[in-house]
Amino acid sequence: MNVDPFTVFVVDDDPGVLKALSRVLRARGYAVRPYASPQAFLADHDPAAPGCAVLDVAMPGLDGLALQQALTAGEAHRPVIFITGKGDVPTSVRAMKAGAIDFLTKPVSDEVLVEAIARARNKDAEARERHAELSAIQAKLAALTPREREVLGHVVAGRLNKQIAGDLGTVEKTIKVHRSRMMEKLGLRTVADLVRMAEKAGISR
Amino acid sequence: MCFAAAPVILSTIDAASAEARRVLLLHAFGHPYSPWSDFAASFRAELVKKSPDPIDLYEVSLDTARVQDPQGEAPFVEYIRALLGGRSPDLIVPVGAPAAFFLQRHRAQLYPTTPMLILGADLRRIPGARLTKYDTGVLLDLDLPAYLDNVLRLLPDTTNVAVVVGHSPVERYWASEVQREFERFGDRVTISWFNDLTFGEMLRRAATMPPRSAIFWFLLSEDAAGVPYSQDRALETMREVANVPVFGMGDYELGRGIVGGPLMQTQALGHAGAEVALRIFKGETPGDINPPAVLFGAPTYDARELQRWGIAESRLPPGSIVQFREPTMWEQHPGLAVAAAFAFALQTAVLAVLLVQRRRRRRAETLLKESEERMTFAASSVNLSLWQFDRDTGELWTTDNCRTLFGLRDDAALTREALLATIHPEDRESAVASLRQALDANQFAIDDFRVVLPDGRIRWVRARARAHVGNLGGSNRVAGTFIDITEQKDAAAEAGLRRQEVAHLMRVYTLGELSGAIAHEINQPLTAILSNAQAALHLLDQGSPDSAELRDVLKDIVHEDRRAGEVIQRLRGLLKKGEKKAETLDVNSLVHSTIALLRNELIIRKIAVKVDLAEALPAPAGDSIQLQQVLLNLMMNAMDAMADTPVAQRFIAVSTRTTSSGGVEVRVRDRGAGIGPAQADQLFQPFFTTKGHGLGLGLTICSSIVQAHGGTLSLKNDESGGAVAVFTLPGHEILLAAQ
Repeated sequence: MNVDPFTVFVVDDDPGVLKALSRVLRARGYAVRPYASPQAFLADHDPAAPGCAVLDVAMPGLDGLALQQALTAGEAHRPVIFITGKGDVPTSVRAMKAGAIDFLTKPVSDEVLVEAIARARNKDAEARERHAELSAIQAKLAALTPREREVLGHVVAGRLNKQIAGDLGTVEKTIKVHRSRMMEKLGLRTVADLVRMAEKAGISR
Repeated sequence: MCFAAAPVILSTIDAASAEARRVLLLHAFGHPYSPWSDFAASFRAELVKKSPDPIDLYEVSLDTARVQDPQGEAPFVEYIRALLGGRSPDLIVPVGAPAAFFLQRHRAQLYPTTPMLILGADLRRIPGARLTKYDTGVLLDLDLPAYLDNVLRLLPDTTNVAVVVGHSPVERYWASEVQREFERFGDRVTISWFNDLTFGEMLRRAATMPPRSAIFWFLLSEDAAGVPYSQDRALETMREVANVPVFGMGDYELGRGIVGGPLMQTQALGHAGAEVALRIFKGETPGDINPPAVLFGAPTYDARELQRWGIAESRLPPGSIVQFREPTMWEQHPGLAVAAAFAFALQTAVLAVLLVQRRRRRRAETLLKESEERMTFAASSVNLSLWQFDRDTGELWTTDNCRTLFGLRDDAALTREALLATIHPEDRESAVASLRQALDANQFAIDDFRVVLPDGRIRWVRARARAHVGNLGGSNRVAGTFIDITEQKDAAAEAGLRRQEVAHLMRVYTLGELSGAIAHEINQPLTAILSNAQAALHLLDQGSPDSAELRDVLKDIVHEDRRAGEVIQRLRGLLKKGEKKAETLDVNSLVHSTIALLRNELIIRKIAVKVDLAEALPAPAGDSIQLQQVLLNLMMNAMDAMADTPVAQRFIAVSTRTTSSGGVEVRVRDRGAGIGPAQADQLFQPFFTTKGHGLGLGLTICSSIVQAHGGTLSLKNDESGGAVAVFTLPGHEILLAAQ
């Protein structure tokens, strides 16, 4: 297995173009996985694998934009670079709004493509980092008891221990214990750290 | 100064068997001047006829008699010597006195010992003392007063005689001779002289001569203005305008307008000259031969002139000869005439009986003639020629306008061959064949062919022919019409050209609509080529490139380049303007290449295509570009029809199959809304369209293309919804209809 697992997924229904694009990207040092149809690509797709997709816009069955939707639905974040035979403005606007890295016109020079792939790689790495962090946070959050979780929400919302005890119908001392166990489990010291983490995890105040 | 020469070998007898006699014939005037040319002609003919040896004749013409410049004669001497090429002639024959004088002046350089025969000079011009022993002459002794005597005998009341004589030196000599000898008539007639006039003035005078006048045409080779006249034509011109009789001088003038009388004998003189020449060839010394001078023969007259001027033949001298008479039956064959008269009497009786019948027939004939004239008039007024041909006799009858139609001259004979010769070589065979078919099969035949007019223009003629059944039932006559159909043909060709142009515009228009899709088709291989080439560059940069992989890359580049080329080829074909070609068509591959052209458009419009092609299809003949245009149009129609069809149902089925009659059928089926009842009748009308952006010409053009290929195109609703377009093409044994 390669040290750099970043892979370029090339999808084009034209075998000649598919082969040539794959070839030039390999020559530029990328790991490439070619697919002759969008369906074949989707069937094989692992959203967790690092990499970006280079898609032809006009393909029979499922066109590039539809494929992009499938790739970025939910948790997925696969960066997409489009290449097209004709520079059709409405299509390119839709693609960019949906988060495409770039919309390139055929014939595409390797410099341009490699530059776009580099941007895609950065974006992929960022997303992957963010995702890893989030996973870690979520793993820690998962270790909390329901009561500790409840207390966390109130702390992030800025309430004092006394107020929290009142809200939950218990005494201040009990809240203190829950609070210190929660901070310990999450590995945090200050309330500011807790608020930052809660933001990342999407926990509302 | 000018001169001309004509060395002529007048005999083809083998030179080895007999030595040719070289004769130098020397003219003082140009060839056409009478009477000298007449002397020479007669001499020449007689000599060649009578001579046992071949005659090698050198005929040289000096214009010195008219120009008369002895100082400038040296080049002529040189010329004659050069002409004979160092050989001396066996006989020298100067024709007329001026030629004789020339030779006498230069005898020292021009063969002094060669025999010389002077032909046709007058005795008074050649005194015997000036002749050497090598010389002799067949000469004239013109009895000048006899001419005037003759005029006065025939027309005793004559008081004026105009003498036509020219202004050249020889003519001036003769003018004074004639004047001198005519002096004695001074008390009877007034003589006027034309030698100081131009020919135009002479004609004016001749046309306005006073009553009781006559014209004596003596000699005219050059008028006072120095204009040369070849005499016979001049004489005829004067005879046409003259208001009084014209008398002449020699036999060569008889029949050209002179009344006649005692005449100079040019024929006899030539013959006598030939006799003397032969005697010289036999070895006689010229000086010892003293041929008699040639005198007038029996007075000879032109009957037509006598009649014209009312001169009774009783006035002619005894022994006269009258020529150009239209002899009566009595005069020529008195016995036969009596018999004929008897027969005529008998016939009269018969005729009397026949007269009644004849009158009837004549009336019928008149009616027939009138009817024929009416028919001819009617025919020619619609530019129609009627004709009839009899195969047995080869006789062709046509109306007169047939000549104009076929570009024949008015005096050209109207024969089958003459007409056939005007027909364009490529069409001739079929024209003959259709005529024969009409005869053989006893049926109606029609054929269009091209006639090549004399100026090279083409005229289209349509011939209709029908065997004419005779009384006995056999058909050996064929009759019909010719009509000029050039205009129709031109119009048809024009329409064909228009249609081609519209079809071309439609293709351009269609491709314009497809331009995005087509750009994509070309972009694909270009993309592959660029990426492959850049991959190869990187491989090379890697230090030790894998040559097998590089070869692979280059192979792919070549392949992709070809692919781009094919797309362009397809486009070029469709964009090309050109005449319809007839080639063998592979309909299935046309379907494939059309779908290839539409591939991207189909993807963009989310339309699936199902292709169902029969194997081993017949190969119709036709124009692949035009038929691809039909397919392209039908497919685009199908695509446009499905704009409102849900994506999942968008579907075009293209299929081919062999028809029961051995042709090819192509179906293009869609799942659009189908054809509305109101549209059905208008589909093939030009400019009818159901599309927001259409021209409304597609189906019109498709239909005309398919029809031109001998097939049919129809459009109907399919049972499963949508429309289906079906066109058929006949197998290739069916001829392509021309335009």
